[in-house]
Amino acid sequence: MMDTPFGNTDWMELQRKYWQTWTDMGLKAMNQKNPGTLAWEGALDYWRQALTVNAPDVSKVLMDKLLDQSKLFMRLTDEFFRNANSNSTSGNMEDWLDTVQKTFANPFTGFIANSNEQTEVMRRMLAFWELPFDNWQRIVSSLALVPGDALFNIPHEQVKDKLQQVLSAPGLGYTREEQTQYQDLLRQGLQYQSTLRDYMQFFSSLGIKSAERMRLRLSELSTKGSTIESARELYDLWVSCCEDIYAEQVMTPEYAMLYGRLINSLMAFKHRMTTIVDESLGTLNMPTRAELRTLQDRLQETRRENKALRHDLETLRELVATLNIKHTNIDTDNAATAVISN
Amino acid sequence: MLPINIRPDKLSAEMLDFSQKLSKGMENLLNAKPIDTGVSPKEAVYKEDKLVLYRYHALPDVPKKQIPLLIVYALVNRPYMTDLQEDRSTVKGLLATGQDVYLIDWGYPDQADHSITLDDYINGYIDRCVDYICHTHNLPSLNILGICQGGTLSLCYTALHGSKVKNLVTMVTPVDFKTPQDMLSAWVQHMDVNMCVDTMGNVPGELLNWTFLSLKPFSLTGQKYINMVDLLDDESKVQNFLRMEKWIFDSPDQAGETFRQFIQDFYQNNKLILGTLTIGEHEIALKNITCPVLNIYALQDHLVPPVASQALKNKTSSADYTELAFPGGHIGIYVSRKAQKDVTPAIGKWLNVRS
Repeated sequence: MMDTPFGNTDWMELQRKYWQTWTDMGLKAMNQKNPGTLAWEGALDYWRQALTVNAPDVSKVLMDKLLDQSKLFMRLTDEFFRNANSNSTSGNMEDWLDTVQKTFANPFTGFIANSNEQTEVMRRMLAFWELPFDNWQRIVSSLALVPGDALFNIPHEQVKDKLQQVLSAPGLGYTREEQTQYQDLLRQGLQYQSTLRDYMQFFSSLGIKSAERMRLRLSELSTKGSTIESARELYDLWVSCCEDIYAEQVMTPEYAMLYGRLINSLMAFKHRMTTIVDESLGTLNMPTRAELRTLQDRLQETRRENKALRHDLETLRELVATLNIKHTNIDTDNAATAVISN
Repeated sequence: MLPINIRPDKLSAEMLDFSQKLSKGMENLLNAKPIDTGVSPKEAVYKEDKLVLYRYHALPDVPKKQIPLLIVYALVNRPYMTDLQEDRSTVKGLLATGQDVYLIDWGYPDQADHSITLDDYINGYIDRCVDYICHTHNLPSLNILGICQGGTLSLCYTALHGSKVKNLVTMVTPVDFKTPQDMLSAWVQHMDVNMCVDTMGNVPGELLNWTFLSLKPFSLTGQKYINMVDLLDDESKVQNFLRMEKWIFDSPDQAGETFRQFIQDFYQNNKLILGTLTIGEHEIALKNITCPVLNIYALQDHLVPPVASQALKNKTSSADYTELAFPGGHIGIYVSRKAQKDVTPAIGKWLNVRS
């Protein structure tokens, strides 16, 4: 029996056959004019479910990333060639680029992952440009008490005016300071959400530019007489166009401002939340973050001084030892001189 | 007509090939062994707080040089990048040239360490490590190899404690933090660092990771994994890839006060190159550096643009300043085969001539 995590080669063989069957279905689907579902993608999802649960920790994250990105590659390939005719696939590329530009031109129908209005085609197409945004959301979730998605999902556009009205109302009664703090928290949340939308808007404009760059690069290839002969070449070209546009645009002062606003608004929200939590802890007579910081600062200062004093003490010890040796040598020399004189 | 000529049958074959490689690769991933990093034998010779100073064992039949070499790595990421695997190890390459190699491992700061300042790192930890090594070898000075941010710290250290540094090597080290190609610098200019540090205490490694990956998001979080599918059938390559992934995402949190000063003084106000930097109570003047300096930079570095490192030229008072340009990236300079062949031996040779 082969040494597999499942202890059974038959199981692995069965999985392999299962995968092969899905692959065959994918092949068939690709030859259809308008495949109803993405068989490749479905196969990967099932493959993921079957394998990653039992994968060693060291591989689990990588497997997830490989499968996610493979799915993305397949989605893009599917979109590139969705309406290909039987002889050549170049004709539909123009259509694809047009659709990309149209879709990015109206990002809020397609770019936001949880929008109900988006079509499946748009979602797949846009998934690639969701990468930077998705990376950010993961970070926010890992940093926040409230998951990033929750922050993102605060109702905003629809009830913006009403909310602002409520938030502008002064606090009343014994709890007026508390009310003000919660109002400020919500205000910071809305501010963050608004900045996040600007951030996404920025990326959607990059999607349009990438499609334009792709057109240009394809045209350059055409002039040179080169052709793209594989899905991977096309994918690599698309990545390269997106990366080039991204690199150009994120070096602009506009993006630097936006980046600063995004980080600052998230931090302002978290800062307000920390203050509220601290005050609640204070009322329970429990140690607060602010108090801990004060203690940590004082402790570090004391440790710094201790280390400096210890260093000085060591230097003095060495100096005394050196002086003692010198003194002993002088005594010995004097004694020797005295003996010689006598 | 666009220059795309992919026939459906060819496309199907390509996708089948991709799927098969992926499925075979998954099997290799299922059987992946635990990742080992830091391959060269070493021993911990000095500890202080979370810092550990390691001394590497000499290679058999390679006589040790008299002057020891201290590697000062960046506070971001982990120093085992310098000794990643048997055939990709800067440390091993240095040992092969007879260097007596020491390395500072900063550890993982937690919230209790948030008050640690750059002064503590430079005039505290680094200085005490240098003292320990000099005392052990009964020498007045040693050689320093500063890597990335560790190079910046080493420059500050050498400017303040020049008598203890015989030779200084800086590797992919930012000196001018406001060069036009510096994406990181452009991004942090409008960041409210005080708000960040006051809110979070320490700055989480995940946030730094996100920033680094955001420099090339499509290549570093997308295309890289698609390219990896081609290598998944080779177990050793899978293992190497996993090792690199582990390093990339193994980012320690940054002590808040250090992060505050590093971003404000270096990135936002570019004080090191302007000569207005103060560490603790000491002014840092690069002109105070008089020892021989070897400045190595990577020509395709997306984190520290070459020009950010080249700025060191003419800023020190060293009469013996050398530059080495490596045709590769920020990571390749430690782990690529070319680096093993060209960079590490060059450092060893440069040091041996001067030690």
